[in-house]
Amino acid sequence: MEIRITLTGPFPRSEELVRATRDLDRGRQSPEAVEEIYARTEIEVVDLERRLGTDRCTAGYLRWADLFRPISESWGGFAVGPITRWFETNTFYRQPILHAPPERTPGAIASRLPLPLRGEGAARALVILPGPYTLAGLLDNRSGEAPQALTHRLGRLLAEEVRELRGLGYRSFEWAEPLLVTRTPTGPSAESTVEAYRAIHDAAGDSTSIVWTYFGDAAPAVSVLARLPVSVIGVDLAETDPASFEIDLRGRALGLGVIDPRTTLSEDPGEIVRIVRRLQEQGSPREVWLGNGAPLDLLPAEPAAKKLHVLAAARTALTPANGRRS
Amino acid sequence: MKPRWQLLGQRGIPLDDRARADFDTWDRRLSFTRGFEEVAKALRSARPREARPDAVRDLGAVFALRLLEHAGLSRVYDGEARRIEMYEYPIRQMRGFQFVGHVRSFDNKYYLKAASTGEVRLVAPYHLDEFDFVRAHAVGEPKLPITGAYTLADWSYNEFYLGRHPGWKGRTARREAQREFVGEIARHALRPTIQALIERGCRVIQIDEPAAGTHPGQGDLVAEAFNIATDGLDGEFTMHICFSDYRNLFPGLLEAKRCRQWAWEFANRDRDGRDGYEVLNVLREYGDTREVGLGVTDVHRDDLETPELVADRIRRAVKVLEDPRRIWVNPDCGLRTRSLDVAYAKLEAMTKGATIARAEFQRPRA
Repeated sequence: MEIRITLTGPFPRSEELVRATRDLDRGRQSPEAVEEIYARTEIEVVDLERRLGTDRCTAGYLRWADLFRPISESWGGFAVGPITRWFETNTFYRQPILHAPPERTPGAIASRLPLPLRGEGAARALVILPGPYTLAGLLDNRSGEAPQALTHRLGRLLAEEVRELRGLGYRSFEWAEPLLVTRTPTGPSAESTVEAYRAIHDAAGDSTSIVWTYFGDAAPAVSVLARLPVSVIGVDLAETDPASFEIDLRGRALGLGVIDPRTTLSEDPGEIVRIVRRLQEQGSPREVWLGNGAPLDLLPAEPAAKKLHVLAAARTALTPANGRRS
Repeated sequence: MKPRWQLLGQRGIPLDDRARADFDTWDRRLSFTRGFEEVAKALRSARPREARPDAVRDLGAVFALRLLEHAGLSRVYDGEARRIEMYEYPIRQMRGFQFVGHVRSFDNKYYLKAASTGEVRLVAPYHLDEFDFVRAHAVGEPKLPITGAYTLADWSYNEFYLGRHPGWKGRTARREAQREFVGEIARHALRPTIQALIERGCRVIQIDEPAAGTHPGQGDLVAEAFNIATDGLDGEFTMHICFSDYRNLFPGLLEAKRCRQWAWEFANRDRDGRDGYEVLNVLREYGDTREVGLGVTDVHRDDLETPELVADRIRRAVKVLEDPRRIWVNPDCGLRTRSLDVAYAKLEAMTKGATIARAEFQRPRA
């Protein structure tokens, strides 16, 4: 079994970046000075990812105000809406408002990706975007389009995005889908979600496509998750009991969100090893991606970085002495 | 709602033209500097450092009291003139916490978050000086807002109590640990503080629980915290919750037996053709007949409500609640994000609207 390490969602802003962005808002700091700190902090996150041995690089997505903002600020038909609670957390996002049929703006997402991911960094980059079901479900839909049709349409637009980004050298795409496990689609909603992912799959070619779910128990969503044509399915183990989560992976990899950003307490590498070994005994999957269950920016930067070292320790423990991973 | 002259004056910075104009205009209107001539003189001079920061802060508190009284409110507080925020300060009055860093709330807004590292214990009851000052200077009936135990726990990392649960920290373990954590804050920090406030003569205490709606189905925990903090104490207790789906808190919230009034936000959701007061039906469905602090003023918009709109909102609430004597009229939440002019105009419209409704129903109070 291959063990990989991945990070999902934005990395917390460093205390220096917190001060700088606050001061920027208060007119006490210049945009140029803040930009310098962003760039330096992105490099620090890349260095951390390198030390952890992540297979893909995120550079932290530190500049993104929330998951949806690159889309709601740049795509046609969208506007940035009111502050809205981000699931069961004390963090908030600005709800996208869709007041007309959505239109993708070429180049808009690419220009908002973290600097270290661009150019030569693209091949190792993990592009993280909202999944079509979560995007369709959390926006304020005033476009008149039925929800299922909208999910499918957004899937097609995101597929176009993937085509463009592949042309720029990007090869790994992660779809953040907390809504799949907190408001699991059924019936026509499930069908439109699968259709949306088929469109993305057609555009993705041989790229790695990841669906990462969080904030909810993935077990009730298994029937939908099992149908999604993606390379990796990620679940949040703070919400999903690994003992009761069974899914027919059909060659796909399983993402295990073993780091819980709701607490600064360190996870026990031994417990992670036991969970993975149990999966091994059950004969699946061929590949496990260990990562954080929910976005790390529920933590301050320093505790987040400390907690992540458990991932490397768990992978080492799962790797036989001859260097080959079990 | 903190005036610019207070912010500058506390830092010893000379008032700029805008702050000076505000100071003088409001003083002509409210005469809030009466009895505080020395600090007022220092602020008006180019030597604000001659005024002690705490004296400027006191003047800010008097200013808020006079503003609320002048707008016609019967229950008043100091506009939280002494407070910067509602989480960090109370936590710093307790042992068993350690601040671990900043977490982003949204955009470039952050809050310093603490982790519980040991058993929660109170260092000393807090807000006592604030209440003493309000009581000494208020003309209206004083009330004191205090952050509730559920919110303090929810906005912290629950490490100590969660750490005592062996094995994988799934949802069940987290919920159980949260119950312990919330209970300990309520028992060992909120309750002794409320008790001390009551001993100082505080009668009306508003327990703020803005986090109450964060986790659907935890209304029982919110109620439990409320009961632990207030049971057997001789005061009038209200609970403020805002920007939440109140239905998710029921029926568990009903167990907050000592809560005399639900003070909720409604006006913010009363727009775009939606009836923001429809949610009051949840009280009728559960047969709850407590008082309601009726949010009739949207604190997130500058658009001014007219007295007629306020009266209409009260009428709609009366239709559901049936008895107008159950209604206290208030803004949805704090007006700190509005300018002073807008805040005052909103409060004035609110009390005028209450007057219109009072004439019809003979009761709603602001």
